[in-house]
Amino acid sequence: MATGNNDDAAADGFLSGCMTRLEVPATIAMAQRARALRGRGEEVLSLALGEPDFPTPAGVIEAAHRAALDGQTKYPPVEGTPALKAAIIRKFARENGLTYEPSEIMVSNGGKQVIFNAFMATLNPGDEVIVPSPYWVSYPLIISLFGGVPVFVDCPEETGFRLGAAALEAAITPRTKWLVLNFPNNPTGATTTRADLEAIAEVLRRHPQVHVLSDEIYEHLVYDGKTHVSIAQVAPDLKPRVLTLNGVSKAYAMTGWRVGYVGGPAWLIRAMGSIQGSSTSGICSISQAASVAALDGPPGVVEVMRETYDRRRRMVVSALRQIPQLTCAMPQGAFYVYPGIAACIGRTSAGGRRLDTDEDFAIALLEEEHVAVVHGSAFGKGPYIRLSYATSDDILRDACGRIARFVAGLT
Amino acid sequence: MPMDFGLMDLIAARLDRISPSQTIAISTKARELKAAGRDIISLSAGEPDFDTPANIKQAAIRAIEQGQTKYTDVAGTPALRRAVAERFRLDSGLDYTSDEIIVSSGGKQVIYNAMVATINPGDEAIIPAPCWVSYPDIVALAEGTPIVVPCMAEHGFKMRPADLEAAITPRTKWLLLNSPNNPTGAAYSAAELRGLCDVLLRHPDVWILTDDIYDKLVYDGFRPATIVQVEPRLRDRTITMNGVSKAYAMTGWRIGFAGAPVELIRAMNKLQGQSTSGPSSISQAAALEALSGPQDFIAEMVATYQQRRDLVVGMLNQASGLRCATPEGAFYVFPSLRGCLGSTSAGGARIDSDRDFVTALLDEEGVAAVHGSAFMFAGHFRISYATDTESLKEACLRIQRFCGGLRR
Repeated sequence: MATGNNDDAAADGFLSGCMTRLEVPATIAMAQRARALRGRGEEVLSLALGEPDFPTPAGVIEAAHRAALDGQTKYPPVEGTPALKAAIIRKFARENGLTYEPSEIMVSNGGKQVIFNAFMATLNPGDEVIVPSPYWVSYPLIISLFGGVPVFVDCPEETGFRLGAAALEAAITPRTKWLVLNFPNNPTGATTTRADLEAIAEVLRRHPQVHVLSDEIYEHLVYDGKTHVSIAQVAPDLKPRVLTLNGVSKAYAMTGWRVGYVGGPAWLIRAMGSIQGSSTSGICSISQAASVAALDGPPGVVEVMRETYDRRRRMVVSALRQIPQLTCAMPQGAFYVYPGIAACIGRTSAGGRRLDTDEDFAIALLEEEHVAVVHGSAFGKGPYIRLSYATSDDILRDACGRIARFVAGLT
Repeated sequence: MPMDFGLMDLIAARLDRISPSQTIAISTKARELKAAGRDIISLSAGEPDFDTPANIKQAAIRAIEQGQTKYTDVAGTPALRRAVAERFRLDSGLDYTSDEIIVSSGGKQVIYNAMVATINPGDEAIIPAPCWVSYPDIVALAEGTPIVVPCMAEHGFKMRPADLEAAITPRTKWLLLNSPNNPTGAAYSAAELRGLCDVLLRHPDVWILTDDIYDKLVYDGFRPATIVQVEPRLRDRTITMNGVSKAYAMTGWRIGFAGAPVELIRAMNKLQGQSTSGPSSISQAAALEALSGPQDFIAEMVATYQQRRDLVVGMLNQASGLRCATPEGAFYVFPSLRGCLGSTSAGGARIDSDRDFVTALLDEEGVAAVHGSAFMFAGHFRISYATDTESLKEACLRIQRFCGGLRR
């Protein structure tokens, strides 16, 4: 091992094996690229972020004020405050028809920590986790960090990016420990149906070693009169092996507050609590008080955001569908669209860049039209791009115009 | 396959390496007795009894109102990282740039990030004991081997250079130093650290994590010191860790931070990006005010703690069978109860271990303390004096009565 004067050499020898399995997510790399461009004084339209552009609701903010002034500034319990756990139990009962005990609930520093805790608590080297593709980049990164093997199952555009039961069945082996479900989906915005989940549950009944991590963080953002369904609700017999993950970030525009939560079997929650007790302890007491107000607050707040997103979704999809070289499915959830760009691959941009991959497309679009998007191959499925419509109508309109001009300029 | 598939099969092997909590039984029991209407004085908490200062709370409220409710940089907001670097410079003369700083959800996450980012199976971390039990747990969780080195009461519970030298092997990756210490309150002077630095200079492969979280809480004019300040040549293999929890009574806000070489910060940042992302944006705004706002709160708090420490040490040394040193810092004392072992309490309990002692003390006198074995150091117990003076006086009287009632 080197001793430190040559810093990179020192880091090379010094870092643990697991760090070599941890890459910088493409979403962050793209954000850094956009920031560098901004640093040079350029104006960049960013459709790359997975973050609501709304402010946190006023009632939530008031609850945080009160908590700080009332002296709720002490160590909270590792697994969450009793008040927040009770609010989460009410939420699961009210919105998902799921019954949980306090010992079956845990609060973490964002939904991401729930996933991290679950995989750290359960994965031994070589264990397999089925990840439907396209997927949120963090799933495979966290799985690999703990020596697990992500097994990707393709969800084709033709079926609305849904997970088919036969494809799931074919991917299961004796080493399969987990199936990750993420509906509404990041990056495609795909939602699921009761019938789809029943078919998936039927497969899982034949494989009792497979547990389910159901990431429902975008639950409230579904459109066209659809309602969200949860696997533990559709298949109550599977509930003892399902983790139902949710959080306040997306539904209540509270990304910065860092509160995610999960319901699941008590023995698994206990093990995850043991990990969290050694990594961060309980999460910010003020954020927990704010989350109680969010979950118990009036539903109208979410409704206003949902309607706005819905309008933007239609606007973006109809603008993109006017570009003949793109295909664009109408997503029914989340705040992303995921157009296909196969017809653009192999061509050359107006700025002279050759587009051999969707990453080339995203980089050229950023450099030449200053629109930041994330390439689909970063989510395991190219050639696509992901656009977030969690930004203003004006920016969206301008960005779609620039994308049309960019594509029209391809030769 | 059987349908009761679960627990045994799903839990990863690494979880077996975390020791079951030693303190949970006693704190559960204290809670039960309290709920049953018993008058319990708890001296077992590791957090200040002061409330977060008003200017800090107001800064949090302003941040919320200004819409600082979005994702921050994983490593912490630029403003907070600059303030941390400035605090390190003002307090200890340390020179870190803001890209050599990481902000985490509590000091614990700094340690966790550092260990998981660097330890390969079998790597050793030297931990002077008595110690906070999270150190060995985190090292074990990262699949390393904790090497716990006892530091005797006669030596002020401090590691001597020869102890360190003897513990270093070719597999040693870390020394985890905590000054002032939880649970003993012992703090190293610059001269004491000098001796350890000389050993470390001879072993260029050993890195140092120095947990200075209690360094504002020192008494009798003691001057706290930290490794990089004493020996700048160790800067490129040291993590200097601190946080706002203890100095600004902000435990619930969950903000810790560290300065370290940029490559290590980058790796910790990467890991944090996949485990939790950045800490709460509101808490970060509050911590910014704590570090860069008025600091007079600390002197008042320290004066109060010092009075309480002197009261507790004096009263405990009047209890038969106890011996209590006067520690330099933190808000703990760690008296020896060896003089009580082998006796029977007034209530008829056999006292053969520190655990027996704290259990009987809770049962018979309603005073909750933590036994030394929970800090990997038997024959002692930890008292936190982060509670009001009247309760402390009453608790010490009860301890005196309990010890006076022990029979051989």
